[in-house]
Amino acid sequence: MKRWTWLAGALVATLVAGCGSAGTPVDPAPVGSVQRPMPGGTDVSGKIEQGGSDAPNCNPQQSLRPDDSMPPGSTMDNIKKRGYLIAGVDQATNLWGFRNPHTGELEGFDIDVVKEIAHDIFGSYDPNTIRFKAINSSERETVLASGDVDVVVRTYSVTCERLQKVAFSSVYFEAAQRVLVTEKSGIENIAQLGGKKVCAAGSSTSVNRLAEAKPKPEPVVTNNWTDCLVLLQQGQVAGVSTDDTILAGMTEEDPATRVVGPQLSEELYGVGVPKGNEDMVRFVNATLEDFRKNMWRDRFRHWGLQRVLGDLTPPQPQYR
Amino acid sequence: MTSTVTRHGPEVQQPESGPEPAGEPRGGRSGFAWLVRLPSAAVRGLRRSAATTPGRLTLISAGLALLALLVGTVAGAELGERKATIDGLVDHREPLTAAAQEVYRSLSDADATAAGTLLNADSEGIALRDRYDLDVARAGAALAKAASASAGNPAAVAQVDVLSRQLPVYTGLVETARTNSRQGNPVGAAYLAEASQLMRSEILPAAKNLYEIEVERLADEQDDAASVPWLTGLLALALLAALIVTQVHLKRRTNRVFNVGLVVATVAVGLAVLWSAVAVTIQSVLVSSGQSSGSEQTDVMVRARIAALQARADETLTLLARGNGTAYEEEYQASIQRLSGGNGQGGFLGEARDGTEGLSAADHVDAAIRSAGAWREVHGQVRNLDNGGRYEDAVELAIQTEGDEGATAAFTRLDGDLARGIADSRQLFLDDTTNGSRVLTLLSPGFAVLSLVAMLGSILGIRERLREYR
Repeated sequence: MKRWTWLAGALVATLVAGCGSAGTPVDPAPVGSVQRPMPGGTDVSGKIEQGGSDAPNCNPQQSLRPDDSMPPGSTMDNIKKRGYLIAGVDQATNLWGFRNPHTGELEGFDIDVVKEIAHDIFGSYDPNTIRFKAINSSERETVLASGDVDVVVRTYSVTCERLQKVAFSSVYFEAAQRVLVTEKSGIENIAQLGGKKVCAAGSSTSVNRLAEAKPKPEPVVTNNWTDCLVLLQQGQVAGVSTDDTILAGMTEEDPATRVVGPQLSEELYGVGVPKGNEDMVRFVNATLEDFRKNMWRDRFRHWGLQRVLGDLTPPQPQYR
Repeated sequence: MTSTVTRHGPEVQQPESGPEPAGEPRGGRSGFAWLVRLPSAAVRGLRRSAATTPGRLTLISAGLALLALLVGTVAGAELGERKATIDGLVDHREPLTAAAQEVYRSLSDADATAAGTLLNADSEGIALRDRYDLDVARAGAALAKAASASAGNPAAVAQVDVLSRQLPVYTGLVETARTNSRQGNPVGAAYLAEASQLMRSEILPAAKNLYEIEVERLADEQDDAASVPWLTGLLALALLAALIVTQVHLKRRTNRVFNVGLVVATVAVGLAVLWSAVAVTIQSVLVSSGQSSGSEQTDVMVRARIAALQARADETLTLLARGNGTAYEEEYQASIQRLSGGNGQGGFLGEARDGTEGLSAADHVDAAIRSAGAWREVHGQVRNLDNGGRYEDAVELAIQTEGDEGATAAFTRLDGDLARGIADSRQLFLDDTTNGSRVLTLLSPGFAVLSLVAMLGSILGIRERLREYR
């Protein structure tokens, strides 16, 4: 009898031992967090290379007086003999210089300016008289200095610092730096972006101003402006800060975004010309005189810029 | 005769149970104590047996039989495993290497093709889109195959993990790019560049690592299959030597030149040694040739093909890149350098040409070198057009699928040449390795039978002598 009790006890103990918890179930494929991809060349370090601001004070609006003559041996005459004008442009900024995804053709307000210059040099407009060269923001000074292009028309702000290296035409557009945010964010100005990630393209005037804003946002620097729109759409930045002209193109592409806040700066767009080609500067200024008078409003409306910028008028040129 | 064997039988298996001191109880109540004393008792028993001639002969007979048994067992195991390794090369290892290669290749091709689908939206765009879809489907299927085999190899598991996680992200970005382009939003190109960046910075390196891990595993197993089976060889030679020494010993003792059993045993072992030496040599040569002319050339051509694909992706992305295309152009030059060297004769293609000399793949490699040269020329024209501002013409020359002049045609020829070269090399590997396996088919059972003959021969041969002491 005693033996049976002992045996039953052992049996119960074995069963109980089998019923105890065997630890937690194994996660066969643990994945902690997911890092969303970023456009190549995106710099999230928050460091900004600020160009030396030791340029002498100047009036960036002032350019050389217009002159539409093309004497033999002049820069324009050489371009005409070559058969085509080489223009450094953007091919990714909507409304200004972009490749139409359907046709592959370059279009935009800046492209219209190039076409006018070519028109005046060759007497009539023919697509074969222009060779577009797509360049980065950071390449604008280099291609002008090396003489790879005749002109740069690429949302190019005239600054005293840049005037040290290149020559500019008269101003053909007055832009202002503002902020692009998503409509739902409720952000109204740059102050509300303090401590948040804000995107700007490298080697631009906008990125420097971002560093001066108070409270300071956390800058994210990309190669191209469109990369900023990608980051905003992917939710990796809270806003994009640059010229309202460029931001207008972004809201066209993404109706869920808004351009908000006061104007942080005045950006004066001019045509960049290699330093020393004064005849070319004067010639371009003559073209721009005509462009401002006869075509500017038409192109402004064509690209729908009034929807974001309001009704603007062509800037008044200043000459020295 | 039979009764004699039975009488001596237990003595063969348990020499220690032979003559033992009288009065010493065997087993019984103090069984444990007996077990402890067993070794010393055995040694004592052996020494006593060796003191007499019949005892010594019994011991020699037992030793020879045991050695023959050992040789048979070891050879059966070692040669059987060797054959299994070779069969595994053909059935598992090489197909898995091919799966890893397919992952790497189809992903590289997807990267090269996706850019093209955005560069032209017409009918050519649809053809490219089909190609992209096929690439993604192939990559997914091959990845599942590679994943099933990566278990147990942490390095391979890590690569498969990256690939499985990032591939859906990549395809998502490409679709976002496509949708935006369809709606006329230039931001589509930015999404495509982001997708390509993800592909190049994370997905392709993982695919490359996975492929390299598989190639290394294949080479390791090929080396294993071509190594010398030392244990079998040494044991078989030892048995042979023991048999000869025994016969010399018996001849001195008994003045009889031949002992039929021992002679049969010696011949059997000699035959087994000779057979295995020849078979293993032929098999090793075949497996090595399958490696050097087959799988190693496949590897070189696969690398060439992938370098070409990456160069192709760089070529199209240079055109698509918004302004900063110079970086892609530099990468194109680096990829082309890897593909065919500075003069068009070196690089992976040059390596493949040297490696496949005289083989069936040589023609395809030569054709690939010519196609690569033609492609380089067209690429130069594309760059000149683009740099001269004639972007549309450059895209036309780079993307157009009709005619033989474009970069697409040249690249497609190159890719086809390499694909055919790879198919030939894989076939060579398969033929050589399968033949190597066939050489071993009968060796393992044959060796076992011959060892058995040797065992019986030595037992029976010595029993013949023992009978003379009765």
